[in-house]
Amino acid sequence: MKLLKLTERLGLVSYRNQSKTEFKPHIIVDTDICNTTCPHKCTTWICPAYCYTLEEGIVRFQVEDCIECGSCMYACDQGAVTWNYPDPEIGRGVTWNFG
Amino acid sequence: MEDKFDCIVIGGGVAGLAAAMTLARNNMKFLLVERGEFAGAKNVSGGVLWGDDLAKLVPNYWEETDGGWERFINHRRLTFMDEQSTFTLDFKSKHFNETPYNGVVVLRSKFDNWLAGKVQEAIDASDFAMDSFIATDIKVDEVIMENDKAVGIKTGEDEFFADSVIIAEGVNNLLTRQVGLQDKYVPADHMLIGIKEVIRFDQKVLEDRFQLNGLSGMSNEFVGWATDGIEGGGFLYTNRDTISIGLVLGLKDLREKGPNKEPYHILNRFKTHPTVADAIRGGEVVEYSAHVVSSGDSRVMPKELYKDGILLVGEAANLLMNAGKAIQGMDYAMRSGILAAETIVKAKAKGDYSSATLKEYRKVMDESYVMKDINNFQDAVHLLHTDTMQKKVPNLICDFGRQFFSIKNEPTPKTEKMLLRAIKRHSSLWELAKLGFKARKSL
Repeated sequence: MKLLKLTERLGLVSYRNQSKTEFKPHIIVDTDICNTTCPHKCTTWICPAYCYTLEEGIVRFQVEDCIECGSCMYACDQGAVTWNYPDPEIGRGVTWNFG
Repeated sequence: MEDKFDCIVIGGGVAGLAAAMTLARNNMKFLLVERGEFAGAKNVSGGVLWGDDLAKLVPNYWEETDGGWERFINHRRLTFMDEQSTFTLDFKSKHFNETPYNGVVVLRSKFDNWLAGKVQEAIDASDFAMDSFIATDIKVDEVIMENDKAVGIKTGEDEFFADSVIIAEGVNNLLTRQVGLQDKYVPADHMLIGIKEVIRFDQKVLEDRFQLNGLSGMSNEFVGWATDGIEGGGFLYTNRDTISIGLVLGLKDLREKGPNKEPYHILNRFKTHPTVADAIRGGEVVEYSAHVVSSGDSRVMPKELYKDGILLVGEAANLLMNAGKAIQGMDYAMRSGILAAETIVKAKAKGDYSSATLKEYRKVMDESYVMKDINNFQDAVHLLHTDTMQKKVPNLICDFGRQFFSIKNEPTPKTEKMLLRAIKRHSSLWELAKLGFKARKSL
């Protein structure tokens, strides 16, 4: 069968509050730590929703595509990730159709 | 405090709903809060719910063929995998067709929602039909503590009070950390990421391909090549007209062996294995999901399962284990939820929700199969995560299989010779003897 690209896979996810232009991010990442002292930048490959990108050596984070798996909270051992659950009203996050 | 509840349950997953059902049946006044749009909306699992505890919560659930579950398991497979081959232990038995079933496959968004409906029915039949609630779209910011005893929850501007709190928040247990039962930072060492696709087929195609009869189903776990050298394994479970296929991958191992170890690429790689590709051909991916799971290593578990006014259940307490036979988590969630709620019922009768009473939960958990299995199979958990079990053994088994099942028009070596050849290529007799000794003690 055809293998899906990550963007196609994330296209199948039902995100909450999509109609809202602004939402409260539920994860805060201190990318200064990622880009200065972190020896591995591992979230850039571990995050299954590719929320952490590496562009020309610089780690960037966006929370829009987050599927609330929690992996960055454990994978980051540098104290850069402050993780919380999204607010049901003004946050992002997922509603699974199958789960 | 007129409006005070006997108990607040945080989280509408299997553990929280099992607790809520037990509270309702015992005429307790409680509030269950769920941060998703409905119970199950945020929940992901592999997922097979093993064992027959579900029949305790929903008697004769199998009569409800349109209920929340997908298929019952009567066919189990454990597959060892190298790059080109698979060697599978395959067990199917009519015995497993009997109710209560040995396990059912579930999709949590549907299953948990269905189970929540059953809990609501139990509430409606209880003395507190108008005073117990399942409330969705509520995220708990903190457990309110007074003199180190839980007295309620805070959610946005609102506060709700209760004599006790059951934390069933799942593996990403922020509130468990807030109340001091778990360290603020939990390292990646014994945590894994589960990543999964739900793939849809024409139901007839699915049933024919996997030899399913009526609502029977198949579970298949994979060891070896599936994980691209990362500790973990693969799974494939049959639902009604979809399959759940995915991987569980160690987070520390991903960190140490990357870059170029993206879980979604490893999943695609797994899907291209000739055996897997044949199983999923023609399907359409309808959902992609991921969630952290704990490994069953007791070193990661919270310091205690209770404190004044608080009980921990399910994955919030890292109650999940794969000791080689099955990935068990939802059944541990269910049993711990039931036992926690029963402890709260006793606490109410005594009028004491302090640790003095709630420690009873620890005792009944220790006496239950959940803690007995977790304690008895720690060595098996460690063994499964060794390089020998993850790589060498699957390669060796597949090498042997290739020799054994190849029929050439030339003299055939004796089986022992084939086995020795495979052992020599991938391991050594000494290593296998050590492994066998460890396996005998641990499994």
